[in-house]
Amino acid sequence: MAFETPSPTAKLSIQSLSKNYVIDQKALRVLLNIDLDVHEGEFVSIVGRSGCGKSTLLRLVSGLENDYSGTIQLDGKVINAPSLDRGMIFQDPSLLPWMTVRENVAFALVNQNIPKAEKDKRVLDLIDLVGLKGFESAYPKELSGGMAQRAAIARALVSQPKVLLLDEPLGALDALTRLRLQNELQRIWLQHRMTMIMVTHDVEEAVYLGDRVVIMDPEPGRIRRIVDVPLPHPRDRASPVLHAIRDEVLKDLTNGVVI
Amino acid sequence: MNTAVLTDIRPTTGDRITKFALGLRGFVIPVLALVAWQLASQQGAVQAYVFVPLDGVFKSLIEHFADGEIPINWLASLGRTASGFAIGGLLGVSLGALMATFRPVDVLVNPIYQAVRQVPLLGYIPLISLWFGNGEPSKLLIISLAAFYPTVLNTYEGLKHIDARHVAVGRIFLASRWQTFRHIVLPGALPSVFTGLMQAVAFTWLSSVGSELFFNPGPGLGNMMANGQAAFRMEVVLLAVIIIGVTGYVTNLIVSKIADRVLRWRNVR
Ligand SMILES: Nc1ncnc2c1ncn2[C@@H]1O[C@H](COP(=O)(O)OP(=O)(O)OP(=O)(O)O)[C@@H](O)[C@H]1O
Ligand SMILES: [Mg+2]
Repeated sequence: MAFETPSPTAKLSIQSLSKNYVIDQKALRVLLNIDLDVHEGEFVSIVGRSGCGKSTLLRLVSGLENDYSGTIQLDGKVINAPSLDRGMIFQDPSLLPWMTVRENVAFALVNQNIPKAEKDKRVLDLIDLVGLKGFESAYPKELSGGMAQRAAIARALVSQPKVLLLDEPLGALDALTRLRLQNELQRIWLQHRMTMIMVTHDVEEAVYLGDRVVIMDPEPGRIRRIVDVPLPHPRDRASPVLHAIRDEVLKDLTNGVVI
Repeated sequence: MNTAVLTDIRPTTGDRITKFALGLRGFVIPVLALVAWQLASQQGAVQAYVFVPLDGVFKSLIEHFADGEIPINWLASLGRTASGFAIGGLLGVSLGALMATFRPVDVLVNPIYQAVRQVPLLGYIPLISLWFGNGEPSKLLIISLAAFYPTVLNTYEGLKHIDARHVAVGRIFLASRWQTFRHIVLPGALPSVFTGLMQAVAFTWLSSVGSELFFNPGPGLGNMMANGQAAFRMEVVLLAVIIIGVTGYVTNLIVSKIADRVLRWRNVR
């Protein structure tokens, strides 16, 4: 099922990964034989029907979940617990409601020995970067959905992870904010050159941002196909190549589904 | 990139006056009731006995404040309530936390707790007076129980229903056990714990006055009320009722203000 030969520079390496959940004493096969290598500094998009195990895959890579078969390795080390070299942006922002924006972002450094002055500086810099200056003392209930999502992005970046896992980070946003934040993500990615793996339902977004687009099939969750997007960044949304690839991915996605 | 701009809108003096004036709306009905009461008391001797004239009530308020009857009884009830609240609340929060944290404790204690809770507090009065007599300890026990029940339940529920997503956030950022408790579990359970404490405040005050009526005499507003009734001093009974009501109202208000402040992050509709 491998669609590419593993490269020696691969940062994240997933091999014959399978995952079952037990629901009502029955085993539910959520992921089956996933093989995927993600290179250093690569942007990989994942698309697939609801329930095909995209979030589960990210949770496994994050280390939140460690009951699986197969191997997941980062730089040759097996992943079985969370670590600060992997950041996570959850499907819903998951800000802690009792903390202000500033405290939420700073919480990413809760268990790190960094001098307070530097901590504060990093937190404020990131709040600035995601455009939340002036809202440092706001509670999550006082933010719009897009602002909360941006705060979550700042929180994930402040610990300077090598790999950032994004679970539909822009899912709940209006079209315009979404486009802006896509550009923002692309800018951050280009600037920090970190590895990003992003789940999305928006094929356009997947193609616009991704170096590769992983298309998943449901029941059980498998990789159907991986599509290359051989265009340099930053990209032109109007590029005909981009549109052609988008159409191809869309076609492939809807192929397996009865509409 | 900012989607909103913050402007300074701290309240002006005018705003404060408007707010104060609006706050007076709550007094409309009590004032009307007082006027009606006063009118009723002026209808004849019988009515004047039932509906004690307001000036009579006011006179007796001054009088019994001066002779110490009101302060002594009021402080006695308050003190008893505070002790019961402290004892019952502390034990309640502790037991609730233990049950939520340690499964064996939960398995052993929860069924007993649920069963015991089915009997109303008043139902335990005969049993308590048999075991502990009719004095001060029995009153304190009843009041402590009144604080104990709601705090156990709400602390337990609060700790049991910590949002799994928040726990995941703690794990992602490698929060230690203590940090997870301090930054995620504790604040997550706090709204529920406060609900328990607020119920405890209301219940303890009610049961404090109640226990004075059921057990042996001793200083307290309930006792003052009973004595007033025995001596046909309607204005004293009335005074006691008013003081009990106002005290309960004010303590509830204070606690809910504290809760609003501590839980200001909460998204209340
Ligand atoms: N904690 C869990 N316990 C049991 N089953 C689970 C659990 N989490 C997920 N599942 C199951 O795993 C499957 C995949 O869920 P997952 O959240 O990974 O899907 P997804 O691809 O992210 O879907 P969506 O696009 O809707 O977010 C679902 O069938 C779900 O019922
Ligand atoms: Mg998902």
